[in-house]
This record gives sequence, structure tokens and C-alpha cells, in this order.
Amino acid sequence: MSASLAAGLSDEKLLAAVAGGDRQALRVLYERHAPWLTLRLARRCADADAVSDAVQDTFVVVWKSAARYQGGGAVGAWMWGIAIRRLIDALRRRPRREFHSSERIDVEPSAEEQVLLGVEHGDLAGALDRLSSELRAVVQATILDGLTSREASRLLGIPTGTVKTRAMRARIQLRKEMA
Amino acid sequence: MSPHVQSELLAAYAGGEIEGARAYSIEAHVVECADCQAAVARLVEPARMQRGWADIEDRLDTPRPAAIEAALGRLGVPGHLARLLAATPSLSVSWLGAVTVALAFAVIAAHESERGLLLFLCVAALLPLAGVAAAFGRGLDPVFEIAVAAPFSSVRLLLLRTAAVLPTTIALAGIAALTLPGVGWTAAAWLLPSLGLTVMSLALATYVAPSRAFGGVTAGWLAIVVFSAIDAGDRLAAFDSGAQVAFVVVALGGGIVLALRQDHLDLGRTL
Amino acid sequence: MTLAVKAAGVHKRLGSTHALAGVSLDLGDGITGLLGPNGAGKTTLMRVLATVLAPDSGSVRLLGHDPADREARPVIRRRLGYMPQEPGFHQRFTAFEFVDYVAILKEMTARRERHDEVRRVLDLVGLGDVAQQRIKALSGGMRRRVALAQALLGDPRLVILDEPTAGLDPEQRLRFRELISRLAQDRSVLISTHQTEDVAALCHHVVVLRDGETVFAGAPRELAEVARDRVWLADERSAGAELSWLTGDGRHRHVGNAPPAHAELVEPTLEDGYLLLVGRGSLAVAA
Repeated sequence: MSASLAAGLSDEKLLAAVAGGDRQALRVLYERHAPWLTLRLARRCADADAVSDAVQDTFVVVWKSAARYQGGGAVGAWMWGIAIRRLIDALRRRPRREFHSSERIDVEPSAEEQVLLGVEHGDLAGALDRLSSELRAVVQATILDGLTSREASRLLGIPTGTVKTRAMRARIQLRKEMA
Repeated sequence: MSPHVQSELLAAYAGGEIEGARAYSIEAHVVECADCQAAVARLVEPARMQRGWADIEDRLDTPRPAAIEAALGRLGVPGHLARLLAATPSLSVSWLGAVTVALAFAVIAAHESERGLLLFLCVAALLPLAGVAAAFGRGLDPVFEIAVAAPFSSVRLLLLRTAAVLPTTIALAGIAALTLPGVGWTAAAWLLPSLGLTVMSLALATYVAPSRAFGGVTAGWLAIVVFSAIDAGDRLAAFDSGAQVAFVVVALGGGIVLALRQDHLDLGRTL
Repeated sequence: MTLAVKAAGVHKRLGSTHALAGVSLDLGDGITGLLGPNGAGKTTLMRVLATVLAPDSGSVRLLGHDPADREARPVIRRRLGYMPQEPGFHQRFTAFEFVDYVAILKEMTARRERHDEVRRVLDLVGLGDVAQQRIKALSGGMRRRVALAQALLGDPRLVILDEPTAGLDPEQRLRFRELISRLAQDRSVLISTHQTEDVAALCHHVVVLRDGETVFAGAPRELAEVARDRVWLADERSAGAELSWLTGDGRHRHVGNAPPAHAELVEPTLEDGYLLLVGRGSLAVAA
């Protein structure tokens, strides 16, 4: 289909076209989703090459398995699920060092940010930010990204047991803060 | 569901300046919001995204390597050579299948009688030769004319193909030999002859047309097999220790001739 | 300025046939057409010029080198593109895979650059959309275009095309002509064909072969001139013509060395000149 036609279609319709072998549709999906996927992956992995490989792999997988997308549930979330697993795969193929989400000097969230977080006094947000970077990385991987302990261990480059321990410590700390 | 993200916040996120819970929140929103996805797309460097797309297109276009090609790649053969070799007729699934069938029949025959064993030994000795001859075959390599007119040395291609076909066919014959009744030296008696015959044919092909070289060597050797069996009263006479030694000499001698005269294998010129 | 091809007195026997009996040919830049009936030796000559066949005798210089010299052959072949009359394909290959295979034979080892080049030539011949289809599944005209694409890999200096327009419909042939005329800058292209219109439209130089010999070499206009005052129209078939045929408007066109006294002479075309030279005995389909 033509580029202008494709640009107006919903993600679901584009996926259906991709399942039918339409490369232009894949291109539009790429232009829409590759940027935010790249940014989000980059926050889980400092290795820029692994990130671009993972994004590439993601769209190759989308090309091949578009027909298997069941619908219901955002296309974005489906793609993220593929992308994070492709990143784990890409990391497995490379020599690794452990990744920490970088340290930040804590700054009180602005009023706008608090509204954004749907939180009145910054309880959860603050508590999360007060976790050490290792604990926060585990929370990000298992809760936000929905990975299993095994997958999280591969992503972060730490043993599965350590993932579980850190997840438990994070939970304990958060509960203590929120109480 | 979540409220929209202000563009400055998004820009800060794109710049890597937002961490922790605030970042999570943004991400949880962006994954399902088309407008914010579009806003992020505007923030990322387009050239980088173009390059990424070009790489993806190339991946989609790149032919899927055939099994043989992947196997060669794992053995450390450079990609482009693996592609060339994978197109060798005598490495195709159909050819290898035919070889397997031929060996199977020969093995069955060998289980029946000593004559069958002789048949097996001849088949096992000649199959590698046939595989290498096929790599030369004008009839079997359809791209022949274009290949000759290309700078890649046809001789080199031929020798590469020989180097790939020989071990493959010999391995198959070897596996078949393991299923022979009563193992022992006899089961491997075809190995040296197969190497010797192949090298001799290649060496001869530097003097005469390949079809004559391969055909002549095959016919000549089969004649020797028959006559020596009759003459010595022993069916397997052509495979005895004397013959094995002779083949070592032949292989070495042929190898030297081939090494010295390999450029004469440039057969295109004798179309 | 070096000529891409300088051939003189080339002889070649194939079996019992004297396929080339002393052919001479000089090729400069631009497009040269090679005309001749079946059996005239066109394909044999092209094979010799593409370094696929060695001549029995005569001198050949390609791109400034002698193809008889083993060291020089790869040098020539690196700047040569050749499209055989009957290209064989590995049937199971896709168009992309086939051209990629030839690209490797042309020593393009770097995968990414090679694939970019393969895509470029396939787009050039208009096969960009069907690159992933098996050659088996392509029409005859498309297969010809695949064969043409591989000849254009690496931007060769000397391009030899044996009957490139055979099997193409008029629209494809027009597209092909546009493609080739664009290519002809800074390049020597040799095309063999039966289609005199292709020659008239494309070529600035024409060579006519008959029975392994050159019977004409010159500009298309000059080939037409060969038939000056030797082409006439009449309502009926008249005697004294080498050839005559019924044209679309119901009259008979005649080509011959001895036109009758009051014949209605007409402007000769390139085809008339060609037919006069090759004679009735070796007439190709004058379509």
C-alpha cells in the first residue's frame, strides 16, 4: 500500500497488512514505535549496540509473526514484550557486565509530576526512588517490564537467586516506608 | 488512562534526564498512547532511525541460509564462500539423498554375499568421485557460462567444491561401512581407493577434458577390479594391501601434479 | 582513448562448423548492435568477447588486455558484464539469491554492500518488487531481466548482451531501451538482436555477421543506404527480388539488387539493408 494510506491506519490494521506481506505497513509501524522502544530499552541497558540489535530483531519478529497477534491489548505493549525479550537475547550473545540503573540525586517531584504519578504526597514514588539502584533495577524488570525472575536475571546479568532476594528486600523496604 | 505527558517532560525523558519512578510512570503511559509515541518519534534523531530501517530491510531481503550453508558457517567458512558452496549440486539434499539410497542398497547387498561386499566397496570408492565430477559438470551447474565470465577463479571454485564434497560423501560412506557385517579392515578398504581415484582424475583433468578424465579413470579402475578378481581368484583382490599402498602413491603423485598444474583446470576455455 | 574491444581475424571452429571465419570488430563507447541470422556466429563471437571461449586464432584485446593471458583474465572480467543467450538458473533460487550468487562470483565479499548492489540492479531492471520470488515462478520476460540485472553488477565498463530483448513485450522492450541508453555513457555495450528496430533506436554502430564473417560495420544510416534504390513497392509480387513480403497496407515490398525498370522505389530502412546483406538463404523471421 502507499505510504500516505498506511500513515492513517491504526496499529491493528497495519499489523494485519504486515501479516499479508506488506512491507510499507511494517515501515510505518517501525517509524511509530521504534523511537520509544529504543529509548525504553536504552534505560535498561547501557550497550547501545545491543539496543539497536534488539530493536531490529523486534521488527523482524513482528514481520514474521504479525499473524499471531491476537488483538485486544495495545499493539505497543505486545511490541514491548517482544522487544525486552529480544534485548535479553541480544545481551546473551555478548560478553556482559552488570547493569545498574544510574544514580540520581533525589529531587522533590514537582507538583506536575505528582499529579502525573497520581500520588498526593509522593509516597510510592519517593519510596521507589529511595531504593538502592540495584533494588530498583530488579523492581523495574520484574514489575514494570513484567519479566520472570529468569528473564530478569539474564537482563541484569545477575543470578536468579539474587533477583529473588533483591525483589524480596525491595518489597520489605517499600512496605516499611508505606506503612 | 494516565494523563498526558507534557512535551518538556517527554523531552527530558528522551534526553535521559528522568529516572526512577517518574520514568516508570512515563513509560507506562507512552506504551499505550499514540500521541506521545509520535511526540517521542519527533524527538529521536531521524538518521539513526533510517539506518535502523535499512538494516531491517536488508535482514528481510537476505536469503535464509540453506542447512548446508549454516553448517559451513559454523565450521568457520566465510559467509560468501559458504553461499557459493551451498549451491554445489553435489551438496544438495537430493543428491545426498540419492547417495544415501545407493549406499543403503549396497550395504544390503554386502550382507547377502561376498559379491555384494565387492559391490559395496566399488560404490563407496566411486561415490566421492561422482560427487566431485558433478561439481565440474556443465550440465549440472546451470550458471556455468556466467560463472566463467566472472572474475572469481573457476579453478578455486572447483577446488573449494571438491574440498566440501569429498569429506561429506566419504563421511556418508563411512557411516554406511559401519553397518557392514563383521567389521575389520575390509570395511575401510574403499577409503584410500576413493581418495586416490579422485585425486588422479583431477590431475588428469589438467590434461584432458574433465568428462574424459573422470570417465576414463572410473572405467579403467573397474576393469582392473574385474580382471584382478578373475586373475587372483579372490573377489576383493583390487582392495588388498598391495592395492592400498598403490593408491597412497597415486594420491600423492596425483596431488603433486594437481598442485603444479591446477590452472589448467580453467575449463571454460575449452567449451 | 582505448577501444573496449579490438578483435581482428578471429577464427573459431566448433565441432565441424567454422563458426567464426575471420571476424574483425572494434568497439568504442556507446551501443553497438550485432545483427545476423541464426548460425551466423553471433553467440560464438560474444562468448569469445566475454572470455568464455578461446578463439582458435586471431588477435583479441579486451579493455586493453589480452584474454589469452591467464593473469589478465580476472582483470578483464572484473570490468565485464555478460548476459548469455540462455542463462541457466538454479531453479530453487529467488531472483535476489541468484543475483547475489553472481555478485559473490564478481568478488563482492562484503555482505551488506553486496546486498545493496543486488537491490540496486534489480530495481534498475524493474524487478524490485519480485526479488523474493523463486525464479521458477517468474515469467520468461522477468527471467531475462534477472539475467540482465546480473550483467549490470559492479557497473562494468564492457557489457555484452546476447539477445537481451528476446521474449520481452513491446512495453518491456521500450523500458529496456531506455535503460540501456542511459547506461551507454562512458561504457561500451554490445547487443546482439534480431530486432532491427532495437538497433535503429539504440545503436550508433552496427555490425552484421553472416556465416561467421563480418559483412558490414558502420552506422545504422549507412546500413540502410546499402539498400538505396533497391527497395520497391508493388501491388503484386514481382520477379527479380531477393525477398518480398506482403505489408500491412496490402502492397508487396521487395528488396533486391535488380529492381524492375519502372519500380516504385522507396526509402530504404535499416531492415532492408540488413535483409539485402544476409540474403534469402539465411533469413531470420522478419517480424
